[in-house]
Amino acid sequence: MSSLRDRMNRLRGNNASAAPAVETVETVEDVVAAEPTPSPAAAQDHLETLTEEWSSMGVKLLHNEAGSFLIRRQIYPAAHKHGIHGLDELSSSVAGLAAFHQEASPLEAEQLLYLDLETTGLGVGTGNIPFMVGLAYWSGTELIVEQAVIRHPAEERAMLFYLSGKLAGYRYLVSYNGKTFDWPVMQTRFIMNGYNRSLWQPLHLDFLHPSRSIWKNTLTSLRLSHVEEERLGIERVDDVPGSLAPQLYFQFLADGNPEPLRGVFEHNEIDMLSLVCLSIRFGHLLNGAEGGYQLPMPQEPEELIRTGLWLEKMGHTERAERMFELAVQSERAAAAPLSMLAARDKKAGNWERAVLLWQKTVIQSVHYGSAGINASVELAMYYEHKLKDYDSALSYVTEALEQALSDPLGRRDAKRRAELDSLRKRKERLLRKTGRKLAE
Amino acid sequence: MFKKKTLPELIDELRSNENIVNWYEMQPQEAKTTPFDDSVDPRIRAALQKRGISDLYTHQGTAFRLASKGENIVAVTPTASGKTMCYNLPVLQAIAKDDTSRALYLFPTKALAQDQKSELNEIINEMGIDIKSYTYDGDTSPAIRQIVRKAGHIVITNPDMLHSAILPHHTKWVSLFENLRYIVIDELHTYRGVFGSHVANVIRRLKRICKFYGSNPTFICTSATIANPKELAEQLTGSPMRLIDDNGAPRGRKHFVFYNPPIVNVPLNIRKSATVEVNHLAREFLKNKIQTIVFARSRVRVEIILSHIQELVKNEIGTKSIRGYRGGYLPKQRREIEKGLRDGEILGVVSTNALELGVDIGQLQVCVMTGYPGSIASTWQQAGRAGRRHGEALILMVASSTPIDQYIVQNPEYFFDRTPESARINPENLIILVDHIRCAAYELPFKNTEEFGPVEVSEILEYLQEERVLHRNGDTFYWANQAFPASEISLRSASQENVVIVDQSNVADVRIIGEMDRFSAMTLLHDEAIYLHEGVQFQVEKLDWDHKKAYVREVDVEYYTDANLAVNLKVLEIDKSRISGHGAVYQGDVAVTMIPTIFKKIKLTTFENIGSGPIHLPEQELHTRATWLELKDTDPELGTKILEQLLLGIANVIQHIVPIMVMCDRSDVHVTSQIKAAHTGLPTIFIYDHYPGGIGLADDVYKRFDEVKQAAANLIKKCSCKDGCPSCIGNEIEGINGKQKSIQLLSYL
Repeated sequence: MSSLRDRMNRLRGNNASAAPAVETVETVEDVVAAEPTPSPAAAQDHLETLTEEWSSMGVKLLHNEAGSFLIRRQIYPAAHKHGIHGLDELSSSVAGLAAFHQEASPLEAEQLLYLDLETTGLGVGTGNIPFMVGLAYWSGTELIVEQAVIRHPAEERAMLFYLSGKLAGYRYLVSYNGKTFDWPVMQTRFIMNGYNRSLWQPLHLDFLHPSRSIWKNTLTSLRLSHVEEERLGIERVDDVPGSLAPQLYFQFLADGNPEPLRGVFEHNEIDMLSLVCLSIRFGHLLNGAEGGYQLPMPQEPEELIRTGLWLEKMGHTERAERMFELAVQSERAAAAPLSMLAARDKKAGNWERAVLLWQKTVIQSVHYGSAGINASVELAMYYEHKLKDYDSALSYVTEALEQALSDPLGRRDAKRRAELDSLRKRKERLLRKTGRKLAE
Repeated sequence: MFKKKTLPELIDELRSNENIVNWYEMQPQEAKTTPFDDSVDPRIRAALQKRGISDLYTHQGTAFRLASKGENIVAVTPTASGKTMCYNLPVLQAIAKDDTSRALYLFPTKALAQDQKSELNEIINEMGIDIKSYTYDGDTSPAIRQIVRKAGHIVITNPDMLHSAILPHHTKWVSLFENLRYIVIDELHTYRGVFGSHVANVIRRLKRICKFYGSNPTFICTSATIANPKELAEQLTGSPMRLIDDNGAPRGRKHFVFYNPPIVNVPLNIRKSATVEVNHLAREFLKNKIQTIVFARSRVRVEIILSHIQELVKNEIGTKSIRGYRGGYLPKQRREIEKGLRDGEILGVVSTNALELGVDIGQLQVCVMTGYPGSIASTWQQAGRAGRRHGEALILMVASSTPIDQYIVQNPEYFFDRTPESARINPENLIILVDHIRCAAYELPFKNTEEFGPVEVSEILEYLQEERVLHRNGDTFYWANQAFPASEISLRSASQENVVIVDQSNVADVRIIGEMDRFSAMTLLHDEAIYLHEGVQFQVEKLDWDHKKAYVREVDVEYYTDANLAVNLKVLEIDKSRISGHGAVYQGDVAVTMIPTIFKKIKLTTFENIGSGPIHLPEQELHTRATWLELKDTDPELGTKILEQLLLGIANVIQHIVPIMVMCDRSDVHVTSQIKAAHTGLPTIFIYDHYPGGIGLADDVYKRFDEVKQAAANLIKKCSCKDGCPSCIGNEIEGINGKQKSIQLLSYL
């Protein structure tokens, strides 16, 4: 063995690292000596008596016809409170989630399966293995959080067998980024273990997408742990960051001691609960006052506008309008969100408010910023094409051009040159138009 | 206005040129055809008939018959012999018959894949069958990727993409792998050396995935003329092959002319520069509006010739219609040049061997080679660029003063009678093999009894387990690491880290204009180097070695730069040895250290040295395979000084002989001599592979050492110089009788 290692080190020019490599060999050998690779029969025995370390975490062994794996099951009564929300709020808000897929049939809590994976790597490649699959679902008035764990990659088959039976009972898959990560990873695992690739085709409720729509600029990060802290009032104590999970699992694989996984179980469990609270949150939002719950209105004008835009997209125009009104009245509204709403109003034909918003934007951003320039241009277009008031249009475009030219933060690239060109052209045209008007 | 001359007129004029040393005329050949097989779908036949194809050339017919039976084939096809039909016909037939059938096409470059897609889609449209063919490469947009994976009947890609994007995500390609009927490998001969050794392993991984999904595809390979197409195809695919070499395509008359520049210094046997001669020859054709391709050996040479020719013809046809073409240009630029050549908008192109491959640039009339391209196969490939099925074509090879060029133009029978070289790969190179076993384990767990090519891999699996890359459970090894191994492994170069070239001429518009591998960058992108790109000169202002970035600025200077590389070598392990005369030949592992020392500034017009400067870059180390020749006892009367000169001369000759013997780029094998080798104190000449772990080239030299020795002695003997010149053992040194002594020394062994 060492000769192969020596050759590899030599070829790679790794002379310097030869010493630490030898150390690694020793540790590995120690482990091998202490815990010889169990034969399948011996493994079976070993499993029957799950060690104290495992049972202290509430982990149990599960057998099925494909083998065995571990499962940890926690039961939460509906009365349990996680952050600002109680789990029982879901029953009054869940109906609102139907808006995600415009389903005719009513949506019920029992149809939801929550999913969050801890994997050995990044991406959705075939070598990234979910060593822990966190599930949550409702059973009567209780929320069951189930975490399936494999002690080595060979146990994956049994875990997937268990999951394949479980999934079919649910219609919706609730996740945070599960549409692009968790579910594709699971699909890959199923295919690699010989399952039909259309085993289960859930409707996705992936809350990363609405979170991005609403909190994109108001929160510094859109990670679940940050969103829950800022908006769901959840505080984690001694949390093991998800990014450490692979390392902790590899450590366990190497020495067989499950203790480091305790933190991973807890992290994943909180993720599951937060996911449930997030579904409550969005349910309330979509449900409005119908569920009898009044969600506190967002403080920031930007969040108000973004929430409104999202509600409108989800088909709740009236409630969206209330958000918009609140934002417009706010003194603190910044130029960027105002112009976002103005663009929406322009599209919807609400010129009156659009003009108001553009004017507000221009005032807000006297000194710099592309939002102000764009608003001036919008106003110029409005006065030129809608009102045929070329003088006012000219004054707006002149202001926009001056501001663009004096903008110290402006880019110096081709795009900007094109913007300046189009401003100059607009100005020239208006000069011609106003000139002709005088001549008449 | 002067009257434009036609190509036949120019050919006639050339006949009386005194520098022509050999004129070889290839007679036109009539087509050999065979009717379509009855089994061919009538819609395919109709579509082909519409394009004027009512029969198949014999080799196409054979290819169809064998491939349809599920036999793996390798078809040897010169340029313009309709090779694409060899694979398109069986593939389209299979899909027409069964809509679920799938095919995977592999091309060595993205450009070739793009060409193939356009050609294929034209036929498919005329067939009126709903067959979807797509390219899948780095440029494919995410939206299209989905469709390609699910619904693409024919997926056209390159080995790099297969390696880093398709295989590690095979679960997204279920419908391809479950129904894969054919794997097409075009331009087989390009898969040699390091690249070929990597690709052989990628194909092992591909076959492993196919097996997992229950498919057993047939391989269809096409290759330019090389000595061992069947052997290479079998090594690359790990499957038995049937060889098809009964080419039935017609071809027009071709003139293959060797041109040897006149001697300008008789005692030193120095000839006029090939570059200068090429410039003037190319000008004659271009100003008569005859489409011409000029091949040059290196990127730098391409740029130098390009700027000279542009200068020479600027009054006659404008510089825009003469372009450069080489690796390092951005893809968009290359597409534009290819299209320009096809449309006839571009009249002349100066290229490296990048245009040797089947990139579609239409039919050119004249091909001018600046020096011997390095191998017989490569020469025929480049020659194939001129003249396709009808009409006359001219191929001009202008010899440089290197020994091998002179050897070839003076011994034309060597070129025209000899079979082309063999292409060598070594898929068992330990570094390459271990890298791909990592990737393979990422894709599917490994059983310890599993085969991966012909070698036992359980030892490597255990090594990777110790490295904590794999986790063993029972008899199975699982991937257990956070990394994505394919992204760490590049199929193309010894080092993954390329140096990015950043043009900061315009502070407001800093842009990336190209990239270069690490080893080349040491001598081409050092501080103050003049880097030529599309005929424009750039000076390297700063090479940021740690971050692998070279910052350049456009300049206009009268010189180019040439860097010296100091090489040190020590023997690590001796595997084999044998006595040979008064010396011995060894094979084993060596460590080579390289450090660039100084660079010279060379004047563009006169090639004189006009200055120099130091290069400060860290030393690079390479562990590789070598064959070396040791002189046990030498004539003590020779004296150390002279012996050192002789060794240097012989090393020079061997450096030129070896690449043609084992078919590789000149830069793949290096030769160096030591008057006192570190491990023995004896005079020694080393021949080593320029890739970590070696790729079988030096090993091959060990096996064929007598041939190499013989060829070296012949070359020195036949050189027309008096007593040493750059064409053989290097410049003459007064009074040492170097040629005779070198031959003596060689015969000693």
